[in-house]
Amino acid sequence: MRALVNRTLQLTAVFAAAATWSVAAQQTATGQVTFQDLRDGLKDATRWLTYSGDYTNQRHSPLTQITPDNVHRLTAQWAFQTETLGKFEATPLVVDGIIYITGPLDTGWALDARTGRQIWRQRRELPGNLIACCGLVNRGYGVLGDRLFKTTLDAHVVAYSMKTGATIWDTVMENYRNGYSATAAPLVVKDKVVVGMAGAEYGVRGFIDAYDAQTGKRSWRFFTTAGPEDAGHGTWRGTDAKAWEKGGGSTWASGAYDPDLNLVYWGTGNAGPDYDGSAREGDNLYTASIVALDADTGRLRWHYQFTPHDVWDWDSTQNPVLADLTIAGQQRKTVMFANRNGFFYVLDRATGQLIRAKPFIETSWAKEIQPNGRPMLLPNSIPSEEGTRICPDQSGGTNWMPPSFDKGLGLLFVTARESCGIFFTWKDDYNPGDSFRGGAVQRVSQYAALRAIDAVTGEKRWDFPYTAQSWAGVLSTASGLVFAGSSGNFMAFDGRTGKNLWHFQTGSALYAGPITYMVDGRQYVLMPSGTTLTAYALPQ
Amino acid sequence: MTRRSVVSLVLLLSVPPAAAAEQDRPARTDARVTNNPLQGNQDAVRDGGTKFRSRCAGCHGPDARGYIGPDITGLSAAGYTDERLFGIVRRGVPGTEMTPTDPLRVSDKEIWQMLAYLATLTPAPATQASGDAQNGERIFRANCSSCHMVNGRGGQLGPDLSRVGSGRARPVLLNKLRGTSETVRPGYEGVTIVTRDGQRIRGVKKNEDEFSIQIVDMRERLQGYLKANLAEILYEPRTVMPAYSAEQLNDRALDDLLQYLTTLRRADADRR
Repeated sequence: MRALVNRTLQLTAVFAAAATWSVAAQQTATGQVTFQDLRDGLKDATRWLTYSGDYTNQRHSPLTQITPDNVHRLTAQWAFQTETLGKFEATPLVVDGIIYITGPLDTGWALDARTGRQIWRQRRELPGNLIACCGLVNRGYGVLGDRLFKTTLDAHVVAYSMKTGATIWDTVMENYRNGYSATAAPLVVKDKVVVGMAGAEYGVRGFIDAYDAQTGKRSWRFFTTAGPEDAGHGTWRGTDAKAWEKGGGSTWASGAYDPDLNLVYWGTGNAGPDYDGSAREGDNLYTASIVALDADTGRLRWHYQFTPHDVWDWDSTQNPVLADLTIAGQQRKTVMFANRNGFFYVLDRATGQLIRAKPFIETSWAKEIQPNGRPMLLPNSIPSEEGTRICPDQSGGTNWMPPSFDKGLGLLFVTARESCGIFFTWKDDYNPGDSFRGGAVQRVSQYAALRAIDAVTGEKRWDFPYTAQSWAGVLSTASGLVFAGSSGNFMAFDGRTGKNLWHFQTGSALYAGPITYMVDGRQYVLMPSGTTLTAYALPQ
Repeated sequence: MTRRSVVSLVLLLSVPPAAAAEQDRPARTDARVTNNPLQGNQDAVRDGGTKFRSRCAGCHGPDARGYIGPDITGLSAAGYTDERLFGIVRRGVPGTEMTPTDPLRVSDKEIWQMLAYLATLTPAPATQASGDAQNGERIFRANCSSCHMVNGRGGQLGPDLSRVGSGRARPVLLNKLRGTSETVRPGYEGVTIVTRDGQRIRGVKKNEDEFSIQIVDMRERLQGYLKANLAEILYEPRTVMPAYSAEQLNDRALDDLLQYLTTLRRADADRR
């Protein structure tokens, strides 16, 4: 009898534990941040819940406390310093008065949004022999329930407790020793954490993954180079029959999501080797493209390739921006894309049909994008052993710096780069984890500007030239302001005219995008620079 | 060299035995190899040539005979070992524009390829040491040292020239003196500030952003200006250094001066 009681107690304990887990799972699914919250995006503009504020990637806040008339009084309120080497490339999240931000070398913090005081700090142990081409950075957390999610430099996806920063699950995406890494901020959709990876300079095969937010188990994977089972496989021809296996197409910046169409939109990176396309003839799908994937299955719904047979390292990993536009009298569901190759594209986001493409910088590689969607190449636009001068350079007309879109003005604000480079090519042998670029570029000129592009016509509306290169993202607000910067200067502009209205010299280069939030009825603007995060507000 | 031996050498370059035993990925630091394993390898020379043009020619010139950086065609003949040259490319030269190369971007093999290519170049004809360095020093003291420092003596408006002989090719120095140089070292661009009351201040631009500019004026005073308070900023296409024509500095005097400058090789920092 006693044994039976004991067994019953044990079973009860097991059931109780299971029930606790079940309740915890439900709490996680419906905790501090729900999928509906993510879907609502900036309807609650006190928060900033995804990389670009909401699923559209418009980075346009409804907050209006700071206006063109009073922005000249904007003042730094507090600064947080990471006490690490490296730099911020992350967009912070803000949830109910707390800031969550990732830093270099897989660090992260929770901060009081009123004061910048640290609540917790995390630092992930990393192997000593990381393979990451372009800075040991991270672009931010994703959030769902009471959990934060991030990708890591050694190509993991990790879930953390929002309360403590403690690790909840840690899933390997790929073996970092083979050149895989990850820096993109996750895009959380329903109960899935959608992530990208990096490494196209090392002969990797790119992909977009989705992981179960609860368990960390992989739900689906979409490979960005078409294998034998994929429709696009015929676009990998030439002397290397296995070129697609090491063909690049990494996915190192965040995508967008349309809940009505249930499609995830994601940009894909350069084909590999970067500058030598001799062994991979054909378009090399789905590199240098945008892909629209079913959010539940990861199946490809449509794709559009911006740069067929990329030999210029023009990753299409910029942030797609979703907007409903009136074009030729018709309401169109569009996705806008200011591409590294120098063209600004507007596509139908339900079908992938090209609506318009127009250069937003000086380009020398393509005369135009033809009605069939393909670029018409100009002479002397292919890298060579002797070197070929091509505009833009390999860093492109823009890059990871996220743009913003003011629907009221119909303007996309983008950090544009005018640049040219001499592109050289050679043959590289493939060894797992080794550099596999097949060339290099000697940069010959560059300058940057904040540029306003008319979303419908693609025409440049205004321009603010910077004195130096800029890698800063953009934020706009419903009061008609645009925040961006260069040379360490964080600046505010009139969105209608481009007139500079305010600036603050932060003392360090800007590699991230600003955001805005509200706490205690006060609007703050937050901008990372170097390893410092500074909050600005109007004096009280 | 057979293909197999080339492969072996490449492996030797990139896989230390300990790392291989751990089945870790190849280490990316330079293993200690004293002689260029790709010396004379025709494929390596061809690839090295392309890599040289993309990565080195911008400073050392397309023929490696010097542009912004020095002539590097005769280094082997001058006694530089392969190991030392490899170290210079990998670790850079402190205090110069020659920065270290990132092993994640430029492999050991690529460095050896570029050095294999360099070894095939015919050294530039040795410049006749025809000038009189002592007279060149006198000319320097009279004309140049008010702006240029050498070994702790001289002005600070222009670059310190204490080691200019090891860092700049003779043709580059000649172009600088005659005013025919196409390049201006960042931080030494000439600029004239025009204030709202019409005052003109000439100097060297040290920094600038969208709203301010920082200069050293011709009297070596460090100054900063808000652009909003200025009437105009005149950017000069070259430095504030005078161009010395043949009338001002005849060929003989120029030769003496160049001879003096090429002797300035203080603190050979790359000899490590």
